[in-house]
Amino acid sequence: MTAIQSGLLDQAIIDDRRARIVPKLQAILSSDQLKVTQEDLAPFETDGLAPYRRMPMVVALPTDKAQVIAIMKACQSEDIPVVTRGAGTGLSGGAMPHEGGVLLSMTKMNAIQNIDPDARIITVQPGIRNAAVTQAVAPYGLYYAPDPSSQIACSIGGNIAENSGGVHCLKYGLTVHNVLQATVITIDGGELTLGGESLDAPGLDLMAALIGSEGMLGVVVEAKLKLLPIPQVTKVVSAAFDDLGTAGRAVGDIIAAGIIPAGLEMMDKLSLQAAENFLNAGYPTWAEALLLCEVDGTAEEVQEHIEDVTQVLKTAGAVEVKVARDDAERELFWKGRKSAFPAVGQISPDYYCMDGTIPRGELPEVLQKISDMQDKYGLQCANVFHAGDGNLHPLIMFDGNDPVQAEKAQQYGSEILTTCVEHGGTITGEHGVGVEKINEMCVQFPGEELTQFHALKRAFDAKELMNPGKAIPTLNRCAEFGHMHVHHGEMPHPELERF
Amino acid sequence: MGQDITQTLVEQIAQAHQEARPLAIHGGGTKGFLGHDLVGEVVDITGHQGIVNYQPVELVMTVRAGTPLAEVEAALAEKGQCLAFEPPSFGSAATIGGTIATGLSGPARPYTGSARDFMLGVRVINGQGQALRFGGEVMKNVAGYDVSRLMTASHGSLGLITEVSLKVLPVAKSVKTLATSASANEAIALFNRLAGQPLPISATAWAEGQAYIRLSGAASAVDAAAKQIGGELADNSVWASLKELTHNSVAEQSTLWRLSVPQTASLDLDCPLIEWGGGQRWYTGDAPEQELRAKVEAVGGHATLYRGQAERVFHPLNPAMSALHSRIKHSFDPKALFNVGRFHPEF
Amino acid sequence: MQTSIVQKYANTPQGQQADAILRKCVHCGFCTATCPTYQLLGDELDSPRGRIYLIKQMLEGAEVTEKTRNHLDRCLTCRSCETTCPSGVEYGKLVDIGRDLVEKEVPRGFVERLTRQALISVLPNRPVFNALLKLGQTFKPVVPGALGKKIPPKRAKTPWPAPRHTRRMLVLDACAQPGATPNVNASAARVLDRLGISLVTAPEAGCCGAVAYHLNDQAGGLDAMRANIDAWWPEIEKGCEAIVITASGCGVMVKEYGHLLAGDAAYAKKARRIAELCKDMTEVFAAESLEQLNLSAQEQKVAFHAPCTLQHGQKIVGVAERYLREAGFELTMVADSHLCCGSAGTYSITQPELSQSLLKNKVEALEAGRPDVIATANIGCHLHIETGAQTPVKHWIELIDDVCGA
Repeated sequence: MTAIQSGLLDQAIIDDRRARIVPKLQAILSSDQLKVTQEDLAPFETDGLAPYRRMPMVVALPTDKAQVIAIMKACQSEDIPVVTRGAGTGLSGGAMPHEGGVLLSMTKMNAIQNIDPDARIITVQPGIRNAAVTQAVAPYGLYYAPDPSSQIACSIGGNIAENSGGVHCLKYGLTVHNVLQATVITIDGGELTLGGESLDAPGLDLMAALIGSEGMLGVVVEAKLKLLPIPQVTKVVSAAFDDLGTAGRAVGDIIAAGIIPAGLEMMDKLSLQAAENFLNAGYPTWAEALLLCEVDGTAEEVQEHIEDVTQVLKTAGAVEVKVARDDAERELFWKGRKSAFPAVGQISPDYYCMDGTIPRGELPEVLQKISDMQDKYGLQCANVFHAGDGNLHPLIMFDGNDPVQAEKAQQYGSEILTTCVEHGGTITGEHGVGVEKINEMCVQFPGEELTQFHALKRAFDAKELMNPGKAIPTLNRCAEFGHMHVHHGEMPHPELERF
Repeated sequence: MGQDITQTLVEQIAQAHQEARPLAIHGGGTKGFLGHDLVGEVVDITGHQGIVNYQPVELVMTVRAGTPLAEVEAALAEKGQCLAFEPPSFGSAATIGGTIATGLSGPARPYTGSARDFMLGVRVINGQGQALRFGGEVMKNVAGYDVSRLMTASHGSLGLITEVSLKVLPVAKSVKTLATSASANEAIALFNRLAGQPLPISATAWAEGQAYIRLSGAASAVDAAAKQIGGELADNSVWASLKELTHNSVAEQSTLWRLSVPQTASLDLDCPLIEWGGGQRWYTGDAPEQELRAKVEAVGGHATLYRGQAERVFHPLNPAMSALHSRIKHSFDPKALFNVGRFHPEF
Repeated sequence: MQTSIVQKYANTPQGQQADAILRKCVHCGFCTATCPTYQLLGDELDSPRGRIYLIKQMLEGAEVTEKTRNHLDRCLTCRSCETTCPSGVEYGKLVDIGRDLVEKEVPRGFVERLTRQALISVLPNRPVFNALLKLGQTFKPVVPGALGKKIPPKRAKTPWPAPRHTRRMLVLDACAQPGATPNVNASAARVLDRLGISLVTAPEAGCCGAVAYHLNDQAGGLDAMRANIDAWWPEIEKGCEAIVITASGCGVMVKEYGHLLAGDAAYAKKARRIAELCKDMTEVFAAESLEQLNLSAQEQKVAFHAPCTLQHGQKIVGVAERYLREAGFELTMVADSHLCCGSAGTYSITQPELSQSLLKNKVEALEAGRPDVIATANIGCHLHIETGAQTPVKHWIELIDDVCGA
């Protein structure tokens, strides 16, 4: 799991490609928009999933749509892959570069183009930060609902690529529910407008295909986002449990009571400690698990729900139930929750963040299994996740300077994901497949679905130049991986030759 | 409960694929008007019935496509839940498969979401007779392209939907409807102004000089909002008639166009019924098709024919989109078996 | 993050410290969000994460050129990234090491060296700076363009109360401040006098060492620190309670004395003591009862600019603002208050373009709420913002001094 060095193109091929593409890019971009030397390229070799690294051949930083179109045309004509990168905060290696391709960094295209408060729509370039959108529309009493934990830094373009979620999905949905329109440049330089300001658009729902497509179909150069009114009142209840399983069951009890919380999050002991180290938020670090349950709405509604939730949590076995004193304390609770991943960096040099999603009812059992695996692999695992969505984020801690640990962390992760699939879930809820979960896709889709995915991709990108090798594995890759993962005694893709 | 005829359907489609024979997907037949005439051998989904999995606490129902919509709604109601996108049925025979394939949503659409927003997973048989499964029963799933939502409102052009998994929600504890006199433009302005405020609005409509606003949620919240907004209390039943297009404003009209436009769009067309905060407007006049489409397109919208005569039912696609649609169709249905020309003439 | 430091650095104290810092970084990218240069330029290489990577590459033995040096030069050292970083990466320390190493790997050209040396000699040298300042102020009307704008206006000196209390505190009255904004320390002295504390200076003390240290003349910086320790020590032995700093940029440096001189046997202990005694003006206030000041501001709107060295360096957030509010001032909303104004020590001179862009954004944000006055807590920010703002700029302690009641 170190820098990827096997299966790479020969240096001669890379050199040839670079020699062909650089003059074309130089005609499009200024010198500070084009990186070609090793020194300049290295900081782009990885995204938010640092263990996966690969040197890009060239990095291009366009400043407008016309440049993106020109770059795409140049790459298509030279048969050179394009990997699009947003803020580089992704946790599945979706923006890991291609050694023989152009890395298209969209960070210079970060402008707000229009705010229409009456229609509650903001038009932005893809490089804008998620949190900057909400900040810009706050004066109008509006906000943008999807709030991935990395929202301070992650970009809207990246959110669209991954169909990012966040802590408020259960009530307000994912990126796919909150983007109205996207202007997309395909690899041939063509411009498509998907969706629209109307509530539906003619033809197929191609926004659905685009959102979550991990940069495999095209490059977003502009997006119109739906804005919501800021709720009158927001309150958060925190419930401390002395047992992880009990906390897991309490999640179901809240939903069963007919309440759809704005957010329902869980942190285990290790992640609580990490977040507390960073913020001193006053988390109960003695607890085995902490549930954060946010309710919003009108003052009357919130009062009603807070009372109900408090009652449900107490009945479910919470040891301590508290309502955040004020907005400052509530924001502190969330800041701690949202910083929990990197805060784990304080207690471990590296971590590997999983993203499996399971039916909520399976939480207690799956949490136990993940916890038990710690002994098997000899690694600690913190857990901090979107309990309301059943979206787990186990953080496997390891030392990347120790190759044995790194290897074990990967095996641990793979077993967690397989467990999620076995419990009726999925290998990725919101982080995407990227390069990291590509093998587990074979577990998720043992049938012809992968072939269908590839066919759909070719409808947008006939030469398969957009982000090759990510998101959807080839059948050959699955056959190879199948050696290790014989599922219930069945060999997937028996028709394929084994290597 | 119900019957699983997937295997029969797979065989029929595989056979048709081999013989390159066109197929026409049939469900309850309630939305036959919505699209060009079907050609080919009938694939009947109505025999494929039954609720496969329903765990109210998971907020998910998985159901075979031929199951009547009414049966789905009854099963949900029994547990105090609902399909929050309020699909119109246009008749008691409507199936859940047809509901998703047409992707129609009711009055709540701008406020709680559309049919596609509640899609979690789908089983389809593609044009090669392969039974495929996408998505699942969990709230978040980004493994692979979002085919579940792509299938929604695809009008059977990509494949046969055999099973869907839908997110379901609890029924609101309290629902109230307010009515107030307003012109169409006043109503649109009011709806949009209110939509920018944190109020429990779940539907808006204007017809016959009345602006209707529905509030849904906790009783205390609904009461407080009703007080704040003002207006007369009206009967909640108006929403069912709007949803099914049986409301007096449109029920008897022989020409009926659905105009989907930006909510705040100012449109130079007289529409007797306006819904979705201005986003869905119903036109019953006699403007020529080209002129109507041009006006709607100019404000960023599109027009669909529900009743009457026109060259096309759905709004034409621009050349780039049309070519892309044909390629996507080909990727699912390479021999162009399913519902050819029903949605758009080019595929 | 995984690292593999080359032999050349692996066994040096700098290399080891850098490695320990790098290993804490998980490459999450949160820091990019609050980095002023990244927000302007949108280039990973001008973000903290990119610079961390450039330093990592250098320590791992990759070839470095002036590009790495330029990207490190463009860093304001505002340390906004540090308050954002959930993993606890000590970026400020890392970039100091990175700059030192890259300077050796890729020496600067003659002209650039000369400019930087001139800054090191002039700014911290009170007599020279003051002489130049007076010259500048006299000829300001005829000094062209950008340079003319940089010269601060003349300000009349106000009285400094004679020491009369048993409680005494030292104030750092060092380089640029007494000449350019002479009333700041005088205001502090008058306010503290009312609180029963006499504020005194040590004439031998000079620059805190920051100018040289951050222009990578680390030896020169350490010499300045030792000189200050020697200058202050007699007062401290006499029972002086604190070393008050009214410029947060100097404060953040003096608080580091203990860490920076830890390896100097002769000074380590004294440096630690100095660092403990060093207090920002806000910290002095925290221990006193302010009621005796009878503060009563009337309808004055203040936009507060929190210097990076205060909010990120010393991690003192929202405190001066609270005192101003308590005094009766109305504080306006300031967007992106975490971002640097572009002053950043000598940055406005070494990176004029970026500095001016940041200044423009900062002034817009500060003046958006139509304040009567802009308040800040650091000499560098004070003078820099003054060059771009229509609104008068003052140190917050001057505002407090203005509204002390009878």
